[in-house]
Amino acid sequence: MAIQIVMDHTGDTRHHFNPEDVQALAKAEERFKKLTGLGFTAAVRTASGEVSKVQSFDPNAEETVFFPRLVGG
Amino acid sequence: MFRFQRSLPAVRTGIHALRQLYRKVLGEITKDARGLQLMRDWLSPDQRAQFDDSGTFEVVGCHSGKRYRIYRGTAQNVFEIDEAGELKLGLCFTPYGNLVAGDAMLAQKIALETDESGALAIANRFLPRGRTNAHG
Repeated sequence: MAIQIVMDHTGDTRHHFNPEDVQALAKAEERFKKLTGLGFTAAVRTASGEVSKVQSFDPNAEETVFFPRLVGG
Repeated sequence: MFRFQRSLPAVRTGIHALRQLYRKVLGEITKDARGLQLMRDWLSPDQRAQFDDSGTFEVVGCHSGKRYRIYRGTAQNVFEIDEAGELKLGLCFTPYGNLVAGDAMLAQKIALETDESGALAIANRFLPRGRTNAHG
């Protein structure tokens, strides 16, 4: 199972999906596009703990985190 | 007996209010804890050890190689540090919306490690007055 974690005022909302399920994968890609279109940043991490920002949907990503656009405080 | 019967609705209202308060407090604790757990999961092993030890962790900017220390919080909690680990400059940037501390700290870490220039362009600067170098 793969997961998309969206940070929000409730802490976060988690969307689990089976990457081998074509429909679930399409829905996850749609969610990715919608969130990044709204200004969310998407990031994935490697097993060694390195983090990278992603600009397009990666169907092989096991865990993607989304956070809202940054603002100066 | 009469007095007891009259007070029953008030007691029920009190219990209901108490239940709502309990749920709210529990919800806050839960989302706060979940945010911290998510952040901790995404830290590198070194950063996780720092956070467990001091409640702060350091990140290295992807463009400049500068070091930053992230304290627990949602704003005014990021500092550029010098080679000795002394606080040099405060940087205030945070994700939009009312996020919990763990989420904000994770977003700040990801921003500095993957798009340092972008984060610095947004951040407001402040002097690290009143903040000691003592971690946590």
